Amino acid sequence: MIVENTQTQMRKGVLEYCILSIIAKGEIYASDIIAELKTAQLLVVEGTLYPLLTRLKNNGLLSYNWVESTSGPPRKYYVLSDEGIKVLEQLDKTWQELAYAVKTSIGDRKVK
Amino acid sequence: MNKTIIININGIVFHIEEDAYEILKNYMTDVKRHFLNSADSLEITTDIENRIAEMFNELLAHEGKQVIVEQDVNRVISQMGTVADFEKSEQDTEPAFSDTYYNNNNNRRLFRDPDDHLVAGVAAGIANYFDIQVAWIRLAFALTILAGGMGLLLYIILWIVVPKAVTRADKMAMKGEKLNLEGFKRNFEQELGSVHQNFSNFKNEARPFVYKARDFSGDLAHHLGNFIRGFANVFIKFIGVLILLAGFGFLVFFIVAFIAFISVGHFMPFPVPAEILRHHNPNTIFISAFLVAIITLISIIMLVLKGIFRVGSVNRSTGTTVLAIWLCAVGVFVFQVIGIVSEFRSHASVVESIALKPTKNNTYYIKLNELKYFTAGDSARLDIKNLSPNIKITDDDDNDFESFNHRNIHLDIEASDSNQPSLKESYRARGPFYEAALANARDIKYQFTQQDTVLKFDQRYYGKTDEPWHDEEVYLTLKLPKNAKVVVDHEVGRFVDFNIGECNEVNKKDYNKVTDATFVITDNGLQCKVDTLVTDTIIRKHLPIDSTKIKVK
Repeated sequence: MIVENTQTQMRKGVLEYCILSIIAKGEIYASDIIAELKTAQLLVVEGTLYPLLTRLKNNGLLSYNWVESTSGPPRKYYVLSDEGIKVLEQLDKTWQELAYAVKTSIGDRKVK
Repeated sequence: MNKTIIININGIVFHIEEDAYEILKNYMTDVKRHFLNSADSLEITTDIENRIAEMFNELLAHEGKQVIVEQDVNRVISQMGTVADFEKSEQDTEPAFSDTYYNNNNNRRLFRDPDDHLVAGVAAGIANYFDIQVAWIRLAFALTILAGGMGLLLYIILWIVVPKAVTRADKMAMKGEKLNLEGFKRNFEQELGSVHQNFSNFKNEARPFVYKARDFSGDLAHHLGNFIRGFANVFIKFIGVLILLAGFGFLVFFIVAFIAFISVGHFMPFPVPAEILRHHNPNTIFISAFLVAIITLISIIMLVLKGIFRVGSVNRSTGTTVLAIWLCAVGVFVFQVIGIVSEFRSHASVVESIALKPTKNNTYYIKLNELKYFTAGDSARLDIKNLSPNIKITDDDDNDFESFNHRNIHLDIEASDSNQPSLKESYRARGPFYEAALANARDIKYQFTQQDTVLKFDQRYYGKTDEPWHDEEVYLTLKLPKNAKVVVDHEVGRFVDFNIGECNEVNKKDYNKVTDATFVITDNGLQCKVDTLVTDTIIRKHLPIDSTKIKVK
């Protein structure tokens, strides 16, 4: 239970950071974000992504454009807003710090 | 061969097999319900629907077929994730403190139930919301409608305010899972917070391009709806607090009144019911009325607590017992009231004329008999005869002895047809039937004495002491010869129809200084005797002073 909780806590922030990072690479469609996350082996089902994107959008980190699609309804293509870019820069910095902290903490211990 | 259904997902048409459709429909219902309490439920579910439509399109194009089958739906669902997956990942992605958001999914929502309705489904909706049987709600409405119509107003307001459960998601949300303890923890602040949040979401919403207009109107309606619903929630709690305060107020009042009744006996804030209850099992009536009032009040308070604040509950057997007691109390109370009312069904009167001795100077003094009259039984019981002849027992308003009887004495003075003065005494009473009413009227004893020019009237009648009150009334008509002078004492004023104070006012007499007023019997009956001399002197007294004649030294 404690293990699960810690894992949950770890994933929690990382997922948002990854999503913002993926979107930062350029305008992107939700299912492509999923594909990237799957490639990164940070597995989520597609349905969970939408509330997350909506929340990030409502917090002003994202915006989207409607793009007509040949294979269905118009698609939302997400981009980072100016604020999103700032937040991502902060998160980059934090991640560097965390990575350093983790690396230092592990030290000489061998991690399989 | 399979039956197919044509569905439309956000403007795109699909042919889908019936089995597949059922699965898809259930899935979408679950999804909608899952996001129901999220401020962005419309946007999220629209995103998901759009994506499903896209995936169907891709599947159909890829496999070159026209109809969506069960397998396709399952594939799409597995890619999209089930509600269980959402819940699991929400634990991952949601901030740790927002567990109320998560728990909201288990809350019921108030809808009008279109499947189980007598009028508009309000009662059924409320019953679903609180997970109780609809009959109780209907009974409560019926009772409150009968008792003053408050229920009718409430019903109409709820009819207008509460939305009808249209979709299946609505109906599922309406019947929801059992309210959990977490719900109890939600309080005013959180409600206010959600109002605020809905409001700010509403402000932040803005959409570009193609679907902007449609999304915006949808969002506007949705967020406005959320906002209003949140506001209504706060408002309902406010009303709830008011009802609780009023309820506790009445509770205290009833308990105090009841204790006062038990300890003091005939404690009575209102005189008339006291007379009615004087001999009719007052204890039974009081205890049953008290039980009815208290149980009703406590039920209202419990209902408000459970319904609005989700605190406290009563187990079924206690509830049933209390209801049974309540019904018994109502039954006893109604029975007693009917018993009392039937005592007053018939009306009878007895008239008696007494000839009076004419006075020499044709002047009559009308006074109140200040001596207390005792019946033979009373005087024996109270040992009156052994009192010294110098001691007199006076009658007083405050003597708690049939203390309301004077209210029903009426004295009128008229011109007599002859020179012979007389007094007509009319006794009236009620009873369950005519003979009883007549007997009650005949039982009335009224004391009147003439001492030369002085006519003394008692301020009360005397009936049989152990008989119940039967709305006894005594109408006295004093007939005096024409031109007779009548001097009426102030104390008689409380049961005469003419105004003594007014007569003194005409004569400019100070009501506090004189103890009587003088009247004359004319052709038109009794009239105030206007004293011209007195009027004159008073006017002269107030003549303006000529200031030129006053010299200042």
